[in-house]
Formats: sequence, structure tokens, C-alpha cells
Amino acid sequence: METIAIYWEPRIKTYGFQRFSDLALIEFSCLLHEIQSLGDILSHDALHVVEPKFIMAQESNHEISFTFCLPAKEEKGFHASLGKSLSPNSLRCVSPVGIIFFYGPHFGDRYGIADATFSSLSKAGITVIASGCSSSSVYVVVIQGDMDKAEEALTQTFEVAK
Amino acid sequence: MEKVKLGGLKQSLELCQFDLTGSSNLSENMVSKISALLASQKINIELVTYNLKRNKNQQLTLCISQDTCVKVSKLLGKDGCLPAGWGVHCREHVGVLTVFPHHSAMKILGLVIASWTSQSIPIYGIATSLSTISFITDYHRVDMGIKAIQNSFQLPDNHAPIKPELLYYQSDRVKKRER
Repeated sequence: METIAIYWEPRIKTYGFQRFSDLALIEFSCLLHEIQSLGDILSHDALHVVEPKFIMAQESNHEISFTFCLPAKEEKGFHASLGKSLSPNSLRCVSPVGIIFFYGPHFGDRYGIADATFSSLSKAGITVIASGCSSSSVYVVVIQGDMDKAEEALTQTFEVAK
Repeated sequence: MEKVKLGGLKQSLELCQFDLTGSSNLSENMVSKISALLASQKINIELVTYNLKRNKNQQLTLCISQDTCVKVSKLLGKDGCLPAGWGVHCREHVGVLTVFPHHSAMKILGLVIASWTSQSIPIYGIATSLSTISFITDYHRVDMGIKAIQNSFQLPDNHAPIKPELLYYQSDRVKKRER
């Protein structure tokens, strides 16, 4: 059996835009051989109260950099937990930031979704601080003051399915 | 001790990972430029992470189908594609394993990292969404990664990882088949 799915969309459909605001972006790096202790820290019960809205990690030059976007009020506790085993100067914090995220049918299976997202934000002059597109979802982290403008730009590119 | 519950697992087909790094010249928006370049060639990006790093560098990580690896390498290697000072690192034969947490994303992330690293399963990237955490690792180690997770977490009865069964091809035209 063969299944062919075709999308003919004048505008790419999404199920709608959602937002998280009043967040802090925390970035830190650790050496690849230190990652196990990071796993131990993150799985510790003390961090259960922390509810990150978005997490990403990238590997480069034997280091892995982690980015956590979490409610700004949870920033201090998170810093303190990490500081116990990571060098404080490896931390960076940007606050306040906001997240706009959306998903749509087969977003992970067809080309052009990332292009539509980043091109529209670029044309609107929005600086994307961080982003992750996985499993049919698109997450964009911007300075909180840019959230309305960013959503407006995305709304012009994507059509919210009714 | 009671194991943490997971909703399920999903694995990708064989992918190729490109890490693009360079200085943060905001007048040249690399994430927009590269995603436009790949879209113009009808190449799907299965996973993207982008970060304006603290050291004033940018990193863009892309996972694309292993089948298009050579094509993308050529595109990125063309003169003028990347600004001076930018580098590309290509890692072939990777896979993405996605877990569906019920709750406690932080704990699940920590437990997966700890269990994988204790078995020397590398992690080349992570991205989350509202209901998923995706891990990039070597394609030939995905099954090992699944086993490690199955041993560390409580999964639904008769659980089997979701494997992709459909391949999506996109073209401008669809040929009508003779019946």
C-alpha cells in the first residue's frame, strides 16, 4: 500500500500560537565527560519544582551547551542547584524572555516550515535568541518586548486552522 | 524504588547532523538563510536547534535525512554560502529518539542523560516541545538507548517504540497512476 499526502496550502496551517512570558533563559556549558553529573543534578528531587518551558542542548568542540527557559521566579533556585557542581562563570542568563510556540500537521515531515518561520521573523526585524523545532512543534525564544511583533509576523505567514 | 512513568518512545529514520557555528553578526541571519536554502531544494529539516550563544557565537544544528547528506554538504560547501569565519561539522548516521513524558520533564531529562552516559551512549543534541523530549545520538546506538530507557522508566504495558513506517516525498506535481 502506498500513501501520498499532499499539502496545497496558500498559507501553512497551524493549530494556533501559544505563548509563555516572564521567563529567564539560562545557558551553560559543560564538558562531555561531566554530563553524567549534570544528569544526576537534574534528576534530583530538589529540582522537581522547576518547570522549564523549553530546553535545548547543542554539542560542539567536546562541550555540550544547555539552554533552559524557565519561569523567572525559578531562576535563583536553579542557579543555586547548578552552581554546586558547575563553574558559575559558565552560566549566562537573559531575562525577561518569552516563547512563542506552535505546531501543525506533519510539520516534522515536510520542508519549508523552518524557512517560513525564520524568514518571517527576520523580515520583521525580530532577533531570535534561541529556537528548537522538533516533533511537529516550533519553539521561538525572543526578548519579551518582541513577543507581540513576533506573533504578528508569524500570524501573517501561517494560517490558524479553525 | 518506583520508576518514573513515561508515555512512550518514538525513533527516527537514519539522519545526518550538521552543526554550523560562527560569529554573531546579526545583520546576517544564518538561521533564516540556511532554512531558506534547504527549503528551496525541497529538503526537510527534521530537527533544528538554534542559539545565540553567550560567547557571541551562533550555533545552528540541523538534522536531515541521511539520503540528502551529500547534497546538503555540497550546498553548504559552496563559495559564499557561509560567511567568513563560519564552520560546518557534519556527523553522519545519527538518529533521534523522542520520549513522551507525562510530567517531570526535568527529572526525565536527568535520568535519560545519566542512564545513557553510564552506558557510553553519546548525546549530540536535545530539544523539547510541550509533550516531548528529543535526543540525538548515533543511529546504531538508538536500540541501546531504547533499552536503557526501558530499564530506567515505567512504560505502558506492551509498549513498543514507534518506528516510522511512512516515508514522505514532496513534489510539485503528483503523477496520476494508470489503473
